[in-house]
Amino acid sequence: MSDAATFEAVREEIAYAYDNTVFFRRHMEELGLRPEDIRDAADFQRIAPTSKVHYRRNYPAGVLAQGYHLNSPNVMRFQSSGTSGDRLNSAIMSYDLARRQATGLGVNRRFDELWQPGSRPRICRFAPPNCSDVECATGFSSMEDRILPDGTLVLTVAHDLLATPEWQIVKALDEIESYQPDLLVVDPTHFAFLTRWARRLDRKITSPRRLHTVCGYTLMTRVARRQIEEFMGLDTPIGDMIGMSELGYLGFECHLGQRHINNRDFYVEFVQDGKPVEDGRTGELYVTTIDDGLIPRVRYATGDHFTPLGSPCACGSELPVVRVEGRATHMVRLSDGRIVTPAAVDVAVGPAPWMDLYKLEQDSTGACSFRYIPNAKARPDDVTALEARLVETLTPNRVHVEAVDYISSERSGKFQPCLSHISAEGV
Amino acid sequence: MTVQSSCRDDFPALRRKIDGQTISYLDNGATTLKPRSVIDAVTEYYETNGANIHRGKHRLSEEASDAYEASRTVLARHIGAAANEVVLLRNTSEAINLVAGGLELPPDAYIVGCMDAHHSQILPWRRAGRLDLTRVDGYGRLDRDHFRELLRGRPQVVALTHCSNVTGVIHPVEELIEEVRAACDAVIVLDAAQSLPHERVNVHKLDVDFMAFSMHKMLGPTGVGCLFGRSELLAKLRPQNVGGGMVDWVDLDGSVDRRTPFKFESGTPAIASVIGCAAAIRYLEGLDAGAQHQHGQDLCAALVGGAIDRPGVSLIGPPDVKDRIPLATLRLADGVPAGEVARLLSDSHGYMVRSGHMCAQPLVTELAGGEVLRVSAYVYNDVSEIEGFYGALDELLSWMAPAARTGAGRT
Repeated sequence: MSDAATFEAVREEIAYAYDNTVFFRRHMEELGLRPEDIRDAADFQRIAPTSKVHYRRNYPAGVLAQGYHLNSPNVMRFQSSGTSGDRLNSAIMSYDLARRQATGLGVNRRFDELWQPGSRPRICRFAPPNCSDVECATGFSSMEDRILPDGTLVLTVAHDLLATPEWQIVKALDEIESYQPDLLVVDPTHFAFLTRWARRLDRKITSPRRLHTVCGYTLMTRVARRQIEEFMGLDTPIGDMIGMSELGYLGFECHLGQRHINNRDFYVEFVQDGKPVEDGRTGELYVTTIDDGLIPRVRYATGDHFTPLGSPCACGSELPVVRVEGRATHMVRLSDGRIVTPAAVDVAVGPAPWMDLYKLEQDSTGACSFRYIPNAKARPDDVTALEARLVETLTPNRVHVEAVDYISSERSGKFQPCLSHISAEGV
Repeated sequence: MTVQSSCRDDFPALRRKIDGQTISYLDNGATTLKPRSVIDAVTEYYETNGANIHRGKHRLSEEASDAYEASRTVLARHIGAAANEVVLLRNTSEAINLVAGGLELPPDAYIVGCMDAHHSQILPWRRAGRLDLTRVDGYGRLDRDHFRELLRGRPQVVALTHCSNVTGVIHPVEELIEEVRAACDAVIVLDAAQSLPHERVNVHKLDVDFMAFSMHKMLGPTGVGCLFGRSELLAKLRPQNVGGGMVDWVDLDGSVDRRTPFKFESGTPAIASVIGCAAAIRYLEGLDAGAQHQHGQDLCAALVGGAIDRPGVSLIGPPDVKDRIPLATLRLADGVPAGEVARLLSDSHGYMVRSGHMCAQPLVTELAGGEVLRVSAYVYNDVSEIEGFYGALDELLSWMAPAARTGAGRT
């Protein structure tokens, strides 16, 4: 039996959002629609997608459901830097977050032991600073200052990841040791950086309890994953989270390494040119929340692209299997009309044991530069082979490969492994 | 016709829409927007010249030097000074640091400052000597008795703030300077960064020794701070930065500094920005002074009037419009984070206001106990924007105040 969200649940969400939020009622009225007009999936597509701009512009008065306020019990408020500066202010019910998290993590048996009756996991977060709800980027705060209401300890890190000073890294390592977490919620590029430093300082990242690692915020590259797995060891469960600040867990990686999308707490669509895509084709994820009393979202265009694979997974989960492709603003656009996703670039790079970090950037002329930070294992043959793979992937556009010893982060603190100025400007 | 309605169109940034919404810029205490004429002056330099100044004899360099020095003259005239009494630096902080370091005070030099000073008028003096701050009352007005008491300690420097960037209070500097002159022979250094954008000052009539201000707070480009100094005092001041452009002669044994003000201007300056400053001054001087004053008063009345008796906010500063610029700093009710409110005012309503400690943390901590919200208006704002701001603030606070909205929510 599948627990996938039913269309009836979607209709209820539409009716609720229409009756209780100013923005969505206006949105429907502008389209000449009323909830009863939406009877099936075809009708549903008559509703124009909603976006981050709508929810930013109308927050809180236009999007919070009638009867709630920002200090209502269980409301968690946050400000997100967003990706590439597309920032957002929003709120979420803590129990909705927990429900979505439970659905997501539920696909991975290695995370089962995290939730024991009567206890909740202790969490440390190591991620871009502006994604935090506390002022952590300065490192000017105590550990107590950085413990969120839900018990998560936010570790300090500089906005420009590679410029994080040693004292701040030591502080993060000390605090993990002191806090004894069960779960590390991390940005994979940030955490790979921390493991490199831990190795250099001859430190361990351990806890008396079994540590689990959830990676989110940005694309988990194979280069980052390799470093995390090598350092943490095979006993540490590592899972790639598909998520957004405003929605929580949209999916998770199962114990067999497949990404599953959460179609239980969300009604999901994969859309290209306004139409749903077939399995095996790439589309933008639109989500409709199910039973979100605080900020119901209908056909919310996430900006994240996925390919629904349409095949069952041996892990046993019925949540659909998808391939993560990356954000629309990060797609590399070739002059022959093809689009290369950040995920495809990552496949071309591979785990590259001779590399610590990379960034591919397409400038506004279409030319690409691939900068990487080599480590002691790098050999000329490795670079030559990588260059050949990148040329094959990105032809007919030019790609320039360059070894560097520093690559900056975005101002938000996020480090994107693949960027395209053409795509960003197009949006 | 109000000042605002006649000049809003001159500011291209105000035409911008964010998420389909027009913006209201109310963070003028931090910096002001730039009129088209300033932008054009900066652009013209880059489009038609681009050469360095005071170096070489070629045509472009001479033209650039002429435009740069002409701008200095315009700036000097605006404050009643001679051109060689105006040093062009990066900002007010750099200007005050130049004086604090250049006076070469003994380590135990006694210095009197003001509690409501910006960090730039506190930290350089704390480094230069033994600094005592004049207390302020609960509204941010200087405790004159305390000031006189401190003067009895015969300070070597008195660092005054003409107008607080937190309370908006314009201090009676003429009277304060008279008191200093009567009590001691201290060097008087005035921070006019907040006052000069709103009110012209004549430095010689004011009898001040040094005065610092930033052009970006008065419609000019960023990167230009000005230091006025009396000729005889500037001549004694030791340059803090040495290198290119500030010397007449260098050989293996030593060097000869250029005359003032050039000896304080080492390296290539912000040429385009300085040239743009003249356009900013001309723009300000082109406004009807009487109308501008009245407009400022109207804005001030709207800001102060809006804060008084408004639930959820308390005004940091006097509850009246006498001797203050159009600026209101608000303390929000306990538990309402100023930073989050500022972000929502911007993203949801289009009002750009400041939050934090305003670079005047000692005062903000004393008067407000924590971070505050600051709304500061200028020539292109109008009263309806202030009213709109308060309306947006009321709405946001109603969403944050548990008592205001209750309900079962979704069941």
